[in-house]
Amino acid sequence: MFDSLGQFISAIGNFVTLTALFHICWSTLLGIVIGSLPGLTATMGVALMTTLTYKLSPDLAVLILICMYVGAIYGGSRSAILLNIPGTPANAATTLDGNPLARQGLAGKAMGIATSGSVLGSIIGMIFLATIAPSLADWALKFQSYEFFWLAIFGIVVSGHLTALDDPIKGWIAGFLGLMVAMVGQEGIHAYERFTYGSTALLGGFALIPAMVGAFGFAEVLTVMRNPVAELVTKTNDSVVPKLGEVFRYWKTIIRSGIIGTGVGIIPGVGEDIGAWVSYAAARRKSKEREKFGKGSIEGLMAAECGNNAAIPGALIPVLTLAIPGSAPAAVLLAAMLIHGIRPGPLIMIESPDFVYQVVAMVLFASLAILVFGLSLTKVLLKVLTVPRERLMPIVFVLCAIGSYAITNRTFDIWVMMGFGVIGFILREMKYPMAPLVLGIILGDIVDKSLRRGLVLTDGDFMPFLTRPICILLWAITISSILMSIPAFRKMVGRVVAKVRPGRGEA
Amino acid sequence: MKPENLVRADFITGIVLIVFSLTVLEESWRMPRLEQLGAHPMSAPGLVPGVLAAVLLILGSVLTLRSVKRGGHHLGLNGESIGRAFREPGNLRCLITLVMCIVYAGFLIGSIPYWLGTGIFVFLFVTIFEWRPGLETSARIKALAIAVIMGVVVSAAVTWIFQEVFLVTLP
Repeated sequence: MFDSLGQFISAIGNFVTLTALFHICWSTLLGIVIGSLPGLTATMGVALMTTLTYKLSPDLAVLILICMYVGAIYGGSRSAILLNIPGTPANAATTLDGNPLARQGLAGKAMGIATSGSVLGSIIGMIFLATIAPSLADWALKFQSYEFFWLAIFGIVVSGHLTALDDPIKGWIAGFLGLMVAMVGQEGIHAYERFTYGSTALLGGFALIPAMVGAFGFAEVLTVMRNPVAELVTKTNDSVVPKLGEVFRYWKTIIRSGIIGTGVGIIPGVGEDIGAWVSYAAARRKSKEREKFGKGSIEGLMAAECGNNAAIPGALIPVLTLAIPGSAPAAVLLAAMLIHGIRPGPLIMIESPDFVYQVVAMVLFASLAILVFGLSLTKVLLKVLTVPRERLMPIVFVLCAIGSYAITNRTFDIWVMMGFGVIGFILREMKYPMAPLVLGIILGDIVDKSLRRGLVLTDGDFMPFLTRPICILLWAITISSILMSIPAFRKMVGRVVAKVRPGRGEA
Repeated sequence: MKPENLVRADFITGIVLIVFSLTVLEESWRMPRLEQLGAHPMSAPGLVPGVLAAVLLILGSVLTLRSVKRGGHHLGLNGESIGRAFREPGNLRCLITLVMCIVYAGFLIGSIPYWLGTGIFVFLFVTIFEWRPGLETSARIKALAIAVIMGVVVSAAVTWIFQEVFLVTLP
């Protein structure tokens, strides 16, 4: 316990230098700007920033990426409040109460509450990151190929279900397509070339960063240019600094949303948007002012922003301990860590325990930065929202192109970026979620190696995959998730529950 | 996308997925098992792609059947509907953006100096999208001036950062 505290304090000390503080300031601010611009998401910001920081030292590069991540998820609340358009998908729940508050002339108050909610959510998540990650890494040492195989499939299925609640089949298609993309190139056991068709550029498979820059950057450029321009609420004459009493009046909501957000963040590939929605729904269920929800409820806004920001440290927990991302931006962050030679996974607490506490400290600094910038730069950030998309999008695309090229100096990667951009745009238009696709690309290698290694070890017997204790838990949740998405099965369960507990089974 | 178009899109996607997964299944089956090298048959390179293709085949079939049940197989594609889709302002903006981005990143980069290609792309992008009919001459001159300034500044800044700071050999 005291050992961990000591490592955390030493990690904080690492970043109290002029260089680190400078990087924290600009990257968080840029994150807020990117997040606040509708269409530009945290994933795109982190992906683009990875291409701009690959020459820096690993700790500074990861610091910049985490500040960008935290800043962007928070920044999305600005456009949610002022434009009624979530800046990032994570801020969709924020629009429900944030924009009605702005329309009532309370835009400043709404931004202040969103800022405090985001900061408190990040800090609650950070506490869980510091406490859960070491134990989870310890526990994950027991994982073998069988468990990793199910963990990856569990991630794809649950992420596919939760990110496409209306139509889970599309989430699963996206996830399995992602896994399929990862099959291209030399496989990891015999170095056999799969689906390369003689192309040397494809030997290493599709590079992750250009693929993500395309799926999130270029696809977003096309989406933004397609959509109509939104109306901006510019009256922010009330104070942005919230009263402490007003914030802590909702302490139960803050703690609940922080815990829910972190919990949702830990689930592979689910991420901040679901963290916000689940926190919002829980706050509404427990609230004494339920009727205000959707009409400008401070509590609802607080819950949504607390939930989405708490999901960030939550999503970092599986990244660090299992090398499995909890969200789409965390997937890019994982790829960036690998580029910088950091090896996240169960061995992290043995090989580099300091790094885990450094990440905790990074989240703390990013949270403090959004508090300072969020409360002090209201007018400047408002100006950002007035920049016409016609002037912004060419810059974004220029960065997408050169960023994809710069990592390995290959023009082929520019084509990869454009290919994934067009596919990502089409899939998005057809309501396919992007998070399972990204998760699939990341997890493909784990699925491939784990299944084949496990089967070789058991001489082709699949039983250990089904009978080991952790495997049972993982496949049971996976199968339940699939079954519960079938309406006939859901109705049947509803009828059974209604018989056992009358009044509870109706959906 | 409108719900009726989504159902049609699901039908097309389902068919594409079925064809795609059948192709991958066939390719995976034809991959060597490497038994002559002493490799265990369960480590065959085609095993996982084959399993994934089978899953995608099931998902694609479900998507197609569901779409057919909702009438998605009546595609209703004709000259008029395609023309209407192209005339829709959002689609038109998106198409122009797509063409400009492909021409810039796919063909301009590498054919002419990077700074020049980037400058031309930014200038044309801003000019085309800010050029609205009925604009006064002074407003047009202002828009052109902004486009020129943006082209020069963005091109110079990106070239300098990547070439001088990140030491990247630009395409």
